[in-house]
Amino acid sequence: MKKLMLEFKKLLGDPVFLGYKRGSTIPVFDEIRSISELPLEISDVQKPGKYEIVEGFRFRHSHSSPKWYLLPPEQVILTISPSYDAIDSGVSEGRRAVLFGVKPCDLKAIAVLDKILLDKHPVYTAKRRGIVGVVVEECMEPGGTCFCASVNSGPIVESGFDVAYARLDKETLLLKPGSDIGRQVLKSMGLERASSEYTELYKQMVGRAIDSMKRKLPDLERAQRALRGLASSQEFWEEISKKCIGCGNCNYVCPTCFCTEFIDRVGENHAERVATWIGCLTYTYGLVAGGHFRKQLYMRYRHYTLHKFLYYPLQTGGLLGCVGCGRCITWCPIGLDLIENLSRVLKVKNVEA
Amino acid sequence: MKPENPFLLERSLVVGVVDEAPGVKTYTLRLSSSYSAEPGQFNMIYIYGLGEVPLSISSPPLKRGSFTYVEHTARAVGAVTGAILSRVSTGSLVGLRGPYGRGWPLREAEGRDLVVLAGGIGLAPLRPVIKCVESSRDAFGRLNILYGARSPEYLLYKYELEEYARIPNTKLLLSSDTASPSWSYHVGFVTDLIEYIDVDVGDSVVFVCGPEAMMRTSVKKLLNRGFRSDQIYVSLERRMRCGVGVCGTCQLGHYFVCRDGPVFSISELGEYFWIEGI
Ligand SMILES: Cc1cc2nc3c(=O)[nH]c(=O)nc-3n(C[C@H](O)[C@H](O)[C@H](O)COP(=O)(O)OP(=O)(O)OC[C@H]3O[C@@H](n4cnc5c(N)ncnc54)[C@H](O)[C@@H]3O)c2cc1C
Ligand code: SF4
Ligand code: SF4
Ligand code: FES
Repeated sequence: MKKLMLEFKKLLGDPVFLGYKRGSTIPVFDEIRSISELPLEISDVQKPGKYEIVEGFRFRHSHSSPKWYLLPPEQVILTISPSYDAIDSGVSEGRRAVLFGVKPCDLKAIAVLDKILLDKHPVYTAKRRGIVGVVVEECMEPGGTCFCASVNSGPIVESGFDVAYARLDKETLLLKPGSDIGRQVLKSMGLERASSEYTELYKQMVGRAIDSMKRKLPDLERAQRALRGLASSQEFWEEISKKCIGCGNCNYVCPTCFCTEFIDRVGENHAERVATWIGCLTYTYGLVAGGHFRKQLYMRYRHYTLHKFLYYPLQTGGLLGCVGCGRCITWCPIGLDLIENLSRVLKVKNVEA
Repeated sequence: MKPENPFLLERSLVVGVVDEAPGVKTYTLRLSSSYSAEPGQFNMIYIYGLGEVPLSISSPPLKRGSFTYVEHTARAVGAVTGAILSRVSTGSLVGLRGPYGRGWPLREAEGRDLVVLAGGIGLAPLRPVIKCVESSRDAFGRLNILYGARSPEYLLYKYELEEYARIPNTKLLLSSDTASPSWSYHVGFVTDLIEYIDVDVGDSVVFVCGPEAMMRTSVKKLLNRGFRSDQIYVSLERRMRCGVGVCGTCQLGHYFVCRDGPVFSISELGEYFWIEGI
């Protein structure tokens, strides 16, 4: 792992490394200064409404994600004087960076964000354009709420990376290149070609990983058709959202949720215009003077669900807004389960059909 | 490479203010000469330290010397619009960025009859349409203007409203929800006036703007009168923070209202137009 980092460093002229950084508590996506900061010796235990870090070697992810870097919770977009002169345009060039140890679902989430924000949102664009290398950790043992295989975004990657690695066990890494840079890196690391014993093991582990994901969407297209048919059913959405408290946690931990609102932070002789995350499940999202565009919680829950499964594909040229990471299930204080809800969608539609 | 920042504001001088109605004023802003906009587009107007609001451009941009002038009609409803009404006067500065959005499809209306249907402050984004038709009168067929407000004092542009009736080949129908002694036009809802529309229904387009409930009633009645859903256009309001399709907050179904709209045909909107809170 150390060698891998060093080779990237050499080849790409000393970029910063960004990854899940081990701290005293839960890892967050941040700058990695040394290999010891990587979460290599811990595992996460994830269940609906539950998250715990234990010893192990299977860290998947946390509430944090590459979104924390690319579209941080607060983005200063402009600093302006009381006489409306721009003091600072807020946007600087993104740092040259390598994403290190991100997950397949993270990678897919970035592809989704690219479709919505790249070359449109200045902060995102600057940071995204600074990414010069991508190293992915494939998931040989998915987490307790993961369902990436159902939405085609994991547990392994096929494109969009330089190097991907799989931890076959605590000590054994199987690496694969995904680009010329990746091939060059692996070559200069002087690695041996993996024997068929290892590649077979890898294949078996991937198969097991897919089977182990308890949450499954048997038929995505059917679920989408059913959702389309249910858009106007108030009763259905009220039923499905009745436990939700509208906290917006699911929005904030979602690696593809991009909604922001703008606020003014007023200083002595300037104001900063700041974009801050806002989740569509929260009450203030659609609130306006004298009205509300999604007053009832069921409306907000409906938009959240339909955005992920129906609207993103229309906005991105085909990509789902859900990458199957399961964060919304883990970090929901009530433990609401999106996949269970979607299965209900199919049932309701079956009953009607 | 540093990307361009779409959130930069142009400093703009207020050169005129007109009282329109209780809590409503029209402001003339001076902008650089390179500014231009289409009817139905909007600007984000920024008040220092408070925030931005989307406001429709309520006059065709006017080039004079080295400047361009545009008007905005604002109604005080909350923090920023309240500050505009109470603090902004001739000589004030405001921040501005725009124009944004897709406006009224005037091209579509060329050579055909046109109905302009507005309620309350909804006339603001339609006023540039009327002015454009007036200045290229021959390019369009009959023009019907249907406009109503809660009471006569809430009508906008009272100083020029009746002149619209003098545009050649134009019918002006006004309404007020409540009667008043000097009011000689229709008493009732503006949607009542749909009955009196006098155009070639099969070869016309209708532009509607007003409160959402009024627009829904209007569209129902228009469909009943035989207009097709691809002939009827509405301008929608959503809470907007960015105006350029990146903050997400204006979404209506899969549309970003700021970028894909605010003007949509009823056929484009499909069920989004009818489902509450979608
Ligand atoms: C495309 C478009 C064109 C508009 N044109 C006009 C116009 O020409 N004249 C006019 O008076 N009003 C217009 N509005 C409505 C106007 O933008 C709101 O009244 C205004 O944003 C209210 O802001 P506030 O700060 O005073 O209210 P607050 O409720 O205190 O503001 C809170 C936040 O909500 C937003 N907001 C509040 N109400 C609305 C609303 N109805 N629509 C969208 N965002 C809202 C504000 O921008 C602000 O960010 C338009 C809205 C849109 C979307
Ligand atoms: S689900 Fe909600 S918060 Fe997330 S991107 Fe969609 S509208 Fe925004
Ligand atoms: S995290 Fe759970 S309770 Fe909170 S808004 Fe999302 S679904 Fe509702
Ligand atoms: S206002 Fe931000 S996306 Fe439309």
